[in-house]
Amino acid sequence: MKTQRPGWFFLLFWLAAGAVAWALLIYPIYVIRPFRYQGPRELPIALAVLRYRPIGMILAVAGMLAAVVWYWRMEHRKWRRFFSAVAVVTVGVAAVLSRVNIYELMFHPAGKPVITAAAESKLDGGEMVIAVKVNGAARAYPIRSMSYHHIYNDVVAGEPIVATY
Amino acid sequence: MWRSTIDGLRLTFHLAGINNQNFLMRDEETGSYWQQISGRAVSGPMAGRTLTLMPSDELSFKLWKAEEPQGTVVKDVAAYAREYSPENWDVEMAKERTVLSFREHGMKQRDIVMGVQAFGASRAFRYDALLREKLVMDHVGLEPVMLAVGPDGASIRIFRRHISGVDPAPDFYRVDGQEALFIDAATGSGWNFQGCAISGKLQGTCLERVETVKDYWFDWRNYHPDTSIFAGTRAAH
Repeated sequence: MKTQRPGWFFLLFWLAAGAVAWALLIYPIYVIRPFRYQGPRELPIALAVLRYRPIGMILAVAGMLAAVVWYWRMEHRKWRRFFSAVAVVTVGVAAVLSRVNIYELMFHPAGKPVITAAAESKLDGGEMVIAVKVNGAARAYPIRSMSYHHIYNDVVAGEPIVATY
Repeated sequence: MWRSTIDGLRLTFHLAGINNQNFLMRDEETGSYWQQISGRAVSGPMAGRTLTLMPSDELSFKLWKAEEPQGTVVKDVAAYAREYSPENWDVEMAKERTVLSFREHGMKQRDIVMGVQAFGASRAFRYDALLREKLVMDHVGLEPVMLAVGPDGASIRIFRRHISGVDPAPDFYRVDGQEALFIDAATGSGWNFQGCAISGKLQGTCLERVETVKDYWFDWRNYHPDTSIFAGTRAAH
């Protein structure tokens, strides 16, 4: 393909791919954030974006790589080549960041629960706990810790359970 | 509190987002998103599936330890323990704003309720009213139930007032004995906070527990639009 203005084509392609990649990255964070009303339509859309955006990110990055290869074959000026490479990186950064769920870091996951015998616990008698009993084994989750971590993936008497608060 | 296993697959959950101030969990194994309050998957390969509820209790440590001396307690995560909220977390949270608002029956959005979804109905019991009244005879749908505050004055349990051979369902009265917390009007048997008769004609009989969720009014009402409310049989002082 021979064109007079490869720079313009590349620029437009970058704007489109960049807009898609960054929208896919930001929209779910914007919708699923605390202290915000989540409408009945936007939550399913945000969750669908989370589910399918790896495909979108792969297409955006692959498209940018193809575009920059095409561009470099026509454009030999060093600065223009440099900026086109930077453009690819801006899309790549969105793709990499999309692999991280900021909310999963924000609430400090508790990891594997460490347990102690009721008799040895230093918990104050008045502190509230969530109590479960599985196959005769009793376990208590102090609410002060639950209200911070919110989730414990645990196994009680061989039964995997998830304690939530 | 949920079983983590579905179709024999053990799921590992992460807190992954917020939906109207109730959190969303993502499981590592399928990437599905689950609503914490309902245990229902709202997105991903498991969408529409519901986790199995694990019966649980919210008790003071003192009371729980007396009932379960052989039990085990999850320890604080040392790296974060300093950041845990003080014991009056509920009081502090009550000041936070909400994004949903259901202005019904004079309820404040962050009033705490004990929610029951059973017997074809949902009913929200105001937590402060239960603590005040200590023993409440009520119904969920057509089913007679009893809500009792434990000897620690803080823990609450809900029971069906169904005893085979005793018809109609009896009322219970608070006695505050050494062991028995209440007696039933039909036989005068004494009952403890585990819902078991420990003296009298019905000794050895246990009442069936009713599952309950402690929640903010706005959140309970959001997932149970048809809920009725118990606000107390007596006026608040």
